[in-house]
Amino acid sequence: MNHLSEEEQLDIYYEEGSEAAKAHLKGCRECSGEYAKFKRSLDAIKPEHVPQRGPEYGDCVWQALRPQLIPYEKKAAGWRGWSWWKIATATAACMALLTAAFIGGRYWENSKRSQPDLAANAQPQPRVVVVVLTDHLDRTERLLVQLNHADAGDKAENAQLQSEARELLASNRLYRVSASNEGDPALAGALDRLERVLVEVANDPHLSAADLDRVRKDMNTNGILFEVRVLLARKPNQEGGPTSAKGVTI
Amino acid sequence: MQGNDHSIVRAVLAGDKDAYGTLVRANSAAVFRVAFRIAGNEADAEEIVQETFLRAYQRLEKFEQRSTFGTWVYRIAVNCALNRMGRPEIEAEYRHGEESDPEARTVQVATQDADPERVLLGREVSAAQEMAMQRLTATEKCAFVLRHLEERSMSEIAEVLGVAPNAAKQAVFRAVQKLRRELAPLRGNA
Repeated sequence: MNHLSEEEQLDIYYEEGSEAAKAHLKGCRECSGEYAKFKRSLDAIKPEHVPQRGPEYGDCVWQALRPQLIPYEKKAAGWRGWSWWKIATATAACMALLTAAFIGGRYWENSKRSQPDLAANAQPQPRVVVVVLTDHLDRTERLLVQLNHADAGDKAENAQLQSEARELLASNRLYRVSASNEGDPALAGALDRLERVLVEVANDPHLSAADLDRVRKDMNTNGILFEVRVLLARKPNQEGGPTSAKGVTI
Repeated sequence: MQGNDHSIVRAVLAGDKDAYGTLVRANSAAVFRVAFRIAGNEADAEEIVQETFLRAYQRLEKFEQRSTFGTWVYRIAVNCALNRMGRPEIEAEYRHGEESDPEARTVQVATQDADPERVLLGREVSAAQEMAMQRLTATEKCAFVLRHLEERSMSEIAEVLGVAPNAAKQAVFRAVQKLRRELAPLRGNA
């Protein structure tokens, strides 16, 4: 074995040395001499005198600290605080609700099966879907406007921008896939371009001035904003066919 | 004691602010000791004690059942001390110290005779040791204090500093190397 390194001597000093190192130290005169010097130098570093604090010290600290503390609000005890009859009542209520929902569901399904689905044929784009997509496009429009005027120095604004982009990204994917399936290439294409912008904004770790500029130029955010506004201006059934309506089935 | 700590913490979280006083009283001295050893002066140590208990109160909901309040608050104290030491003005002070003439820092070795001269030299040795400690980086000093003076294990030091055990060991080693080098003139051998 080679002579002990300073690191090995340190391990031995703090009683963490390997058995091999300890054995070597016993048998090697040179290392013993070096270690004795090493030990002396570390033994010489003694803890400096810590000023004594009396038994009243804790009180003094507490008195100084107490006015700065705001009491925690009492929390509701949760399930553990409920008495048995409260739990029994809650369980019974849940059971009753579940039973009612089950029976109601069965009844509704049977009655639905017996009637032809005329309403669905008459209105190919459910109203609620149109409203949901309009809301998505509204939010997207606001995000693009914000992005076009974003100031790289405002970290709070950028963080909010990224958070909004992340939220919109998931729903945007869903709408894009649905639009493709429904055969609306204009909507699907616009949503696809929009998705790329959202991905860039959501995943950029810093969103610096250069990043913002790059996204604006490379992705043509102004153009996409225009497209979104056009889509927002479209009315359901405006162009005659069901696919032209600003809605997709989700 | 651990169970008692947890029941007190539950009481504090339930709105009994004064129950926290029991924990403060029981742990103030230990927190002061480690704060003083890292900060090196009473004024900073006192501030670290206040800051530690304030931070601990604010994070009390994160206090985990598996450790005692004493261990938990000890870690917070070390972190508070580290933050305080890591402040730019303090680092600048250390750099200023490093720029001073190394010759001026050399002092004579104290003899074993008990006389006024020896007492004076003893003080100089302590001052040199303190200066050498101040020249360490915040992490090195903290790691060394915890290992050498507080006799904490490497895994505890690593946990407190938020680094890997090997990195903690390296920090202690670098501190030892620097201190030995700085204090070599006092011992008359390397």
